[in-house]
Amino acid sequence: MLTLYKQEVYKQIHKIGWWIALGFMILVQITFGIVGKRNPSMFAPSDLVGNSYVGGGLVMLIAIASTASIIAMEFQYGTMKQLLYRQYYRSQVFISKILTALTQLVFLQVVAGLMTVGLSLILFPSYHWATHVDGLTRGLVYLRSLGSDLLVGLLLLSVVILLSTVFKSNAAAIATGLVGYFMAQLASTLMIAMIAWQHWTKFLPFTFLLTNTQIQAPSFSRLTLFSTPMMIGGTLLYTVVFTLIAYLSFRKRSV
Amino acid sequence: MGTILTVDHLDKSFGAKQVLHGVDFFVEEGHIVALVGPNGAGKSTIMKAILGLIPVDGGGIDIKGQPVSITSHQALRNVGALIEYPGIYPFLSGRQQLQLFANQHNKQTNVDTIIKAMGMGKYIDRPAKSYSLGMKQKLGIAQALVNNPQLVILDEPMNGLDPQAVKDLRDLLRNLASHGTSFLISSHILSELEKLADDVLILNHGQIVKHATMKALEAAGGITYKIAVDNLDQAKAALTMAKSKFSVVDDAITLLDTAPGELNAALYALVNAGVAINTVAQQAHDLEGAFLAMVHDDQKEEA
Ligand SMILES: Nc1ncnc2c1ncn2[C@@H]1O[C@H](COP(=O)(O)OP(=O)(O)O)[C@@H](O)[C@H]1O
Ligand SMILES: [Mg+2]
Repeated sequence: MLTLYKQEVYKQIHKIGWWIALGFMILVQITFGIVGKRNPSMFAPSDLVGNSYVGGGLVMLIAIASTASIIAMEFQYGTMKQLLYRQYYRSQVFISKILTALTQLVFLQVVAGLMTVGLSLILFPSYHWATHVDGLTRGLVYLRSLGSDLLVGLLLLSVVILLSTVFKSNAAAIATGLVGYFMAQLASTLMIAMIAWQHWTKFLPFTFLLTNTQIQAPSFSRLTLFSTPMMIGGTLLYTVVFTLIAYLSFRKRSV
Repeated sequence: MGTILTVDHLDKSFGAKQVLHGVDFFVEEGHIVALVGPNGAGKSTIMKAILGLIPVDGGGIDIKGQPVSITSHQALRNVGALIEYPGIYPFLSGRQQLQLFANQHNKQTNVDTIIKAMGMGKYIDRPAKSYSLGMKQKLGIAQALVNNPQLVILDEPMNGLDPQAVKDLRDLLRNLASHGTSFLISSHILSELEKLADDVLILNHGQIVKHATMKALEAAGGITYKIAVDNLDQAKAALTMAKSKFSVVDDAITLLDTAPGELNAALYALVNAGVAINTVAQQAHDLEGAFLAMVHDDQKEEA
C-alpha cells in the first residue's frame, strides 16, 4: 500500500504542469498582495487574507484539475493495465490514488496558507494575527477558514473522482471537473432560494457546498436549515458515498 | 519441471458476442509458448483474463496453484506483462518508468540490467514522449521483465521492432527461458516465433485449434507452392474462380492445397486468365503456410 502511494506521488511530482500551476498560484498571490499594498482603498488586508490572496479559489481549481487526471490519465496513456495486473487489489490501487489526491489538496492548502501569512507579514506588518474578531484571534479565524474550505474541497474532489473513473481522457475529466466546479458554485447560491421554497431540498448534496460558509458564519444555519455539526456530518457523508460509488465503478471495470 | 500456468475452459463474451470458447491450455516452467492466431482471434483477451484485468464468464486460471481472477491477484506477484501496446507516461523518462514499476528489492541493479540487456542506454534518460514506436515497445518489454518474473506474458512483442531488435529480443528471451523463466507470447505471424517458441497454440475464433510443439508443427508443415505473378489482383480473381486454396504472402500467391492436380489446376486458371507467371517455387516445411491453412477459411470469410 505504501509502495503504491509512493508510486502515485512519484508520478504527480514529475508532472511539470503541476509545478507550473503551483507557481502560477504563488505568483497570483504575490501580485494581489502588491496590488493590495498599492491600492489600500481597493483591497483591505482582511479581505486579502480571507481568501488567501485569491489563492483559496486557485487551490480548488488546481486540485480539481489534478485529481481529475489522476485516474483518467492512466486510461489516456494506456498505463491502467500495467497498474492493475500486479499483485495488488484494485481497492489498494484506488485508495492510493485517493490518498494522493488528498495529499495534494492539503499540500496546496498549506502552501496557500503559508504564502498568505508570509505576504501579510511582509506587506502588511500592521495586520496583527493576534487581534480578536468575534471572540477569536485573526489567526484562528484564518485557520478555521482553511479547514472548512478543505472540508468542502473533499466533497468536490469525491465528485471529480467519481466522474474521472468514467472518462477515458485527461482533457474530458479536467474540463468536466472545472465546469462542474463553477456550476456547483452557482448551484450552491441557488440552493438557498430552493431550500426556502422546498425544505426537503436541503438534503441535496449541493447544500453541503455551503458548509465552509456556515462554519465561518454560523447564522447561515437559518438558511440551510441544518446545524453546523449536521452540515459537517452531511459533507463527510456525501464525500464517502461518492467515493464509494467511484470505487464500485472502478472495481469491476474491464481494462 | 512443473506447470506454471493453467488456463481451464475459459469462456468470455463481450455483450452478446462470445469471444473465447472453452480455451484450455497450460504453460510449463521454462517453456516459451507461442499463442498464434489472426487478428481478433482472442489472444489479447486471453492474456487480459490471465492477468485478472477482465471478468470471465466461465472456466478458471491458475498460476502455480493459485487461482487468478479480477478480484484475486496474489498469484500475479511473479508475473510481468505487456498487453496490446506499451503504456507510457509522457512526463517520465524511460528510466523513471522502469524505476516506478521496479520492486524495491535490488531496484537499481534490476533497472540497469534490463536497460543494458535491451540496448536502451542511449535514450533511456530522455522523456519517453520523444520515443519512436520501437523504443516505446522496447520500454514496454523492459517493464515486463524488470522484476525478473517467473512468468512473462507478451502480446505481439515484435510490433514495431526492426530486424536486429527482433533478433536481440529473441536471444534475450531464449536466455531467460534457459534460466527457468516461462513465457506466453502472442503473434499473428507464426513464423515470427518459429525460432523462439517451444510450444505453439493456434487460436482461431476464440478456440484453440492446435496445441503442438514447434518441432512437430515444422515437421508437419508439408509442402506449398509460391507463385509470383505480375498482376496479383487478376491472379487472385482467377484462383478464387477456380476454387483454389491460396493466400497472399509477400506479394506472391501461396498455394495451400498441394493435393495432386491442384498445382496444375491453379496454373491452368492463371494462364487462362492471361496472368503472367514469373516464378513457381516449391516451399518445404512451410510453417506460415501450415498456419494459414489452419485458419484459412475464416480469413476469407472476414475479407
Ligand atoms: N472491450 C471489448 N468490447 C467488445 N469487444 C471486444 C473487446 N475487446 C475485444 N473484443 C472483441 O473480442 C475479439 C478478440 O479480440 P482480441 O482478444 O483483442 O483479439 P486479438 O488480440 O487476437 O487480435 C475481437 O472480435 C474484438 O473485437
Ligand atoms: Mg491483440
